[in-house]
Amino acid sequence: MNASLTRIGAIVVKEFKHLIRDPRILLAVLVTPIMQLLLFAYAISFDVRDLSTVVVDQDQTPASRTYLQSYTSSGFFKVVGSVDSVDAIDAVFQSSRARVAVVVPAGFQEAVDRGDKAQVAVYVDGGDPNSARIGQGYAVALNQVAGQKITATWAARQGLDLSQAGRLDVRVRTWYNPDRSSSIFLIPGLVVVIIMIVTVQQTAVTLVRERALGTQEQMTISPLRKVELMVGKLLPWTILAFVDVVLITLMGLTMFEVPLRGSVLVLAVSAALFIFASLGLGLIVSAISPTLETANLIAMMLAFLPAFLLSGFAFPLDSIPLPLQWLSYLFPARHMVDISRAVFLKGAGFAEVSGPLGMLAVYAVVVLALATVLYGKRAR
Amino acid sequence: MTDSQPAVVARGLTRAFGPLTAVADVSLEIPEGGVFGLLGPDGAGKSTLIRMLATVLVPTSGDAEVFGESVTHRPGRVTPRIGYMSQKFAMYPDLTIAENINFFATLRGVGKADRRERSARLLEGMGLAEFAGRQAGRLSGGMKQKLMLASTLMHEPDLLLLDEPTTGVDPVSRREFWRILAGLQREGKTVLVATPYMDEAERCTSIAFMDEGVITQRGTPDQIKALVPGTLFELVSPEPRAALAAAGAVPGVASAHLYGDVVRVLLSGTDAAGVAHACANAGVAVDSLRPVAIDMEAAFAFLAEEGEAA
Amino acid sequence: MSLKRIRLVMWKEFLQLRRDPLLLRAMFLMPILQLVFFGYVVAADVKNISIAVIDLDHSVASRQLEAEFASSDYFVITQHPATEAELQPLMDKGAVKAALVIPDGTSAALTRGEAAPIGVVVDGSESSSASIASGYAAQIVGEFNQRQIAASGMTIAAPGIDARIRVVFNPTLESINSMIPGLIAALLMISFGALMSQAVVKERESGTLEQMFVTPIKRNEYLIGKLTPYVVLAIAQVAVVAIIGMLWFKVPFYGSWWVVAVGLGLFLLTSVGLGLLISLVSHTRQQAQQTVMFLMIPQMVLSGFIFPVESMPAWIAPIANVIPLTHALVVLRGAFVKGSGFAALATPLWILAAFAVVIFGAAVVQMQRRLAE
Repeated sequence: MNASLTRIGAIVVKEFKHLIRDPRILLAVLVTPIMQLLLFAYAISFDVRDLSTVVVDQDQTPASRTYLQSYTSSGFFKVVGSVDSVDAIDAVFQSSRARVAVVVPAGFQEAVDRGDKAQVAVYVDGGDPNSARIGQGYAVALNQVAGQKITATWAARQGLDLSQAGRLDVRVRTWYNPDRSSSIFLIPGLVVVIIMIVTVQQTAVTLVRERALGTQEQMTISPLRKVELMVGKLLPWTILAFVDVVLITLMGLTMFEVPLRGSVLVLAVSAALFIFASLGLGLIVSAISPTLETANLIAMMLAFLPAFLLSGFAFPLDSIPLPLQWLSYLFPARHMVDISRAVFLKGAGFAEVSGPLGMLAVYAVVVLALATVLYGKRAR
Repeated sequence: MTDSQPAVVARGLTRAFGPLTAVADVSLEIPEGGVFGLLGPDGAGKSTLIRMLATVLVPTSGDAEVFGESVTHRPGRVTPRIGYMSQKFAMYPDLTIAENINFFATLRGVGKADRRERSARLLEGMGLAEFAGRQAGRLSGGMKQKLMLASTLMHEPDLLLLDEPTTGVDPVSRREFWRILAGLQREGKTVLVATPYMDEAERCTSIAFMDEGVITQRGTPDQIKALVPGTLFELVSPEPRAALAAAGAVPGVASAHLYGDVVRVLLSGTDAAGVAHACANAGVAVDSLRPVAIDMEAAFAFLAEEGEAA
Repeated sequence: MSLKRIRLVMWKEFLQLRRDPLLLRAMFLMPILQLVFFGYVVAADVKNISIAVIDLDHSVASRQLEAEFASSDYFVITQHPATEAELQPLMDKGAVKAALVIPDGTSAALTRGEAAPIGVVVDGSESSSASIASGYAAQIVGEFNQRQIAASGMTIAAPGIDARIRVVFNPTLESINSMIPGLIAALLMISFGALMSQAVVKERESGTLEQMFVTPIKRNEYLIGKLTPYVVLAIAQVAVVAIIGMLWFKVPFYGSWWVVAVGLGLFLLTSVGLGLLISLVSHTRQQAQQTVMFLMIPQMVLSGFIFPVESMPAWIAPIANVIPLTHALVVLRGAFVKGSGFAALATPLWILAAFAVVIFGAAVVQMQRRLAE
C-alpha cells in the first residue's frame, strides 16, 4: 500500500512538473477558461435590444411623429435614419443597415381624426431569424399599446366607457431568474463546458505521449500497476479542474451576480463525478489513439461539439430530433449542465438531482474502468 | 545466487508482426557474468528479441527464462532483476537529468536514501553530475545515452538489456560507454548488448550473430573470427574500384570488399600473387598488398555473405 | 516561377493527404458533423415546450384556453398539478419549463367584462426558452381575447392602429435558412485554420521544410503548391455544405453566385493567411491546434455566426467588426437570404478585401522572413 502510494506520488509530481515546464498548458487550463467566461457571459444575450430601424414618414404630421417617437422611446428599437420611399427599404435591408423599417403612409393624422383605423406598415428583415422573431413580437406589442392610447384619447373625448369587453390579462412570472439575465442562465452551464473541454483535451494526449516518448516501456517493466498510473495521471487534472470550477464559480458569483441557491456540497460531489467522467473519456481517447495527432482530433470532436452543442448550455435540446437527444445523453456534459443549473438557480439538493447524479456516477465508473482495460490492451 | 544458473535461457522464442516474422524460433543460453553481444544487420530481429526478454513484448510462441523466471508467465518476477535500455531515447525531455532518474527509480521502488546515494555515484561516474539540473531534451546524443544507462542502473539490476546503446554517438563517448560496461562486467553483472558496430563486438566476452530472425553463429570473438577460412589481404591502390573489380574475378578469391579506400580480399590460400597479376593485367597500379589478421569486420562481411548464399 | 516545380509540390501534398487517412476522414467528417449539429441543434426553433396547466377555475372558458395551448405547436401539456404548491417540485426537477395558472373566478370576471389576470410561469434558468415561451403564451392569449370579443358581437367603431407587420426575406423565420450560408463561411475558416496549419507545422516538425529550401524551389512556388490542394479541398467542402443545405434542408438561394464567389474568394485569402500565421507561431502540431482553438471560439461567438451581434453590449460591436468572419457572414447571408447584389454588399466586400490584403500579405511576408531564419 505504502509502495503503491509512493509510486502514485511520483507520477503526480512528474505530471505537475510537465505542467510547470509548459506554460502553454497552464495558459490553456487557467487563462482560457477565464477568457471564455468573459466572452460568453458578456457577448451572448438572448434579449435582443436596440434593433436598428429606419422610418419612412410620408405623413409628416404631429400624430405621425408622436407615433414614430414611441419606437425610439421603447428601448427595443433604435432609429438609425429615415428614407424617402418604401422602395428604398429594400436597399437598406440588403446592405443590412437596418433590420426593421416602419412606414407611416400619408393620411395617418386624418384617419385618426376621422375616427378610422390608421394604416401603418412594419417590415422586419428575416435574414436573421432570431432578431426578426423578437422584433416582430416587439412591433406587435408596441402597436397594440399605441393603438390603445389613441382609442382611449378618442373615447375620453367622446365620453365613452370602453371597459365592458372582458379579456384575459397575462401576468408573466419568471422563476429562478426573474430578469432572465443570460449570464445567470449561461454561467452554470459554462462551467461544465469549460471543464469538459479542458479535461478531455489535456488528458487525451497524456498516455499517447508516454507511448511516443518510449517511457511507457520503462513503466511496464517497473512494478507500477495500470490503476496506479491512471490514478497518478488523474489526480493533477482533477485538482486543476477543481481550480477551474472554483475560479469560474467565484467569478460568476461576484462579477455576474449568479446566485448559488443550493448546497456547495451537492455541487462539489457532482463536479467531482463529472470531472472523473470527462477525464475517463480523455483517457479512453488516449488509450486507443495511435498518434498524438489522432488523439487531438478525436478529443476535439468528442469534447467540442457535444460540450457546446449537446449539453444544453446555450441551445435548448427539447426541440432537436430524437436521435440527437439520445446522443446527448451519451455525454456527461448534458447531465452535469442539468445538475449545475438546478443547484445554482433552483437550490436543488441531492434528492432533486439524484437522476443525473446517478447517471454521472455510473458513467464515471464505466469510463474509467474502460480506459484502464483499453490501456492495458494496447500496452504490449 | 547459484553459479550454475544461466542469466537467460530462451527456448523457441518467436514473434511475428502480421505476415512478418521478426524472430523465428530462437533458442539461446547466456551464462551469468560477461558482456554478451548481439550482432546483425538492421532488421535482423535484435530489438524484437531484446524486447521479449525485457517482457515489454509478448512472444507469439516459445518462452524464455531470466534467472529462472519465465518472461511470459512471471514477468513481475523478471523485471526487478533486469534493466532495459531501448534503442530510442525514452526519458522526459522537459524533466532534468536528476528528475528523470529520480522518477524512474521511485517507480522501480528504490528507497529515498538509496536514490540519493546511487544517483550521486552514477552521475559522478558518468561525468553527468554537473549537468544534473539540465533538461534531458537539451543533452547531446552521448549524454542522453549515459543518462538512460544511469537510469537503468538505479535499481541495481543483475541483467542489463541494452538495445544499440551507442548508435548515433560520437567515437569518444562510445569508448567511454564501453569503459562503463566493462566496469559493470567486473561487478559481476550480465550485459546483453545489441550493436551494429564491429569494433564493439570485439569487446564482448561472447557474441551471437543474428540474421533474418535467427541466430546463425555464436561463440567468443576469436571463435567467430576463426570461422572465416583462408587469409585476408589488404590491397592499397590509387584506383580502389578498378582494383576491386580486377581482384574479384581471380580464382581462389572467396570475397572482395571495399573497406574505406582499401580493398579487402579474402583468399582461400595464402598466396596473393594471382591478385597482383590480375591488377597488373587490368592496368591498375598497386601500392601495397599484404596479409592482415582477420577482424570482426571481415567476419561480419563473410557471415552476412554466407547467409545470403544459404 | 516554375509551373513544373509548383506541380511537383502539389503532387507531393496530394500524396501526403492521401496517405493520411485521419486527416482525410476529418476533412469529410467535419462538414457533415457540423451540418448535423448546426442544422439540427443550433438552428432548432423552440417548439413543444412542456407546460403544466393548473386550472383552478374549472369553467368552459378555462378549458377553452387550455385547448388553445394544447393545439398550438409551441406547447405540449404534460402535467396537471392541482395547486401551485405542486408546481414547484416539477419546475425544480425540470419536468416542465412553463406553467399556465388559471385562477378561480376567471370565467366570472370575463362574463362581468373585467380584465381577468391569468398567470404564466416560466423557468428563467433557461432564459432562451423562457423568453420564447412567454412570448408564445402572450400570443395565444391575445388570439383568445380577440376571439372572445368577436364572439361577444361587440364591434367598436373606435380609431386605432391597423399595423401590418410583415417579415420580408425568409418569411417563415426558419433559422436554418441563415445558418447554412453562415456555416459555409465558418467551415472555410475552420478548415484552413485547423488543417492547413497542421500540414505546414508537420513539414517543419519532420524537417522536410529545411530540405525543401535547399532545393532550387522558390518560396512563392512552394506556397502556391502547398496551398492549392487545400484550396481545392476547401471548395469541395463548401460545395458539399451548400448542396446538402439546399437539397436536404431546403435552404433557398435568391442571390447571384458571383457575389458568393467573390465574397468567399476574399474570405478564403484571409483564412489562408490566418492559417499560415498560426503555423508560423507554432512549433508542434499540438500547439497549432491549441492556437486554432484559442482563436476560433471568440470568432464564432463574436461574429454573429450563432448569436446576433445586435444583442451584444455596444462595446463588443467594434470587436466584432475586426473579425473577418463577421463581414463574410453579411455577404453570404445577404446573397442567400435576401438576394443582395454587389451594390448592396459593397461595404462588407471592401472590408473583406482590405482584410485579405492585410492578413494574407502579412502571412506571406512573415513566411518569407521566418523561413529565411
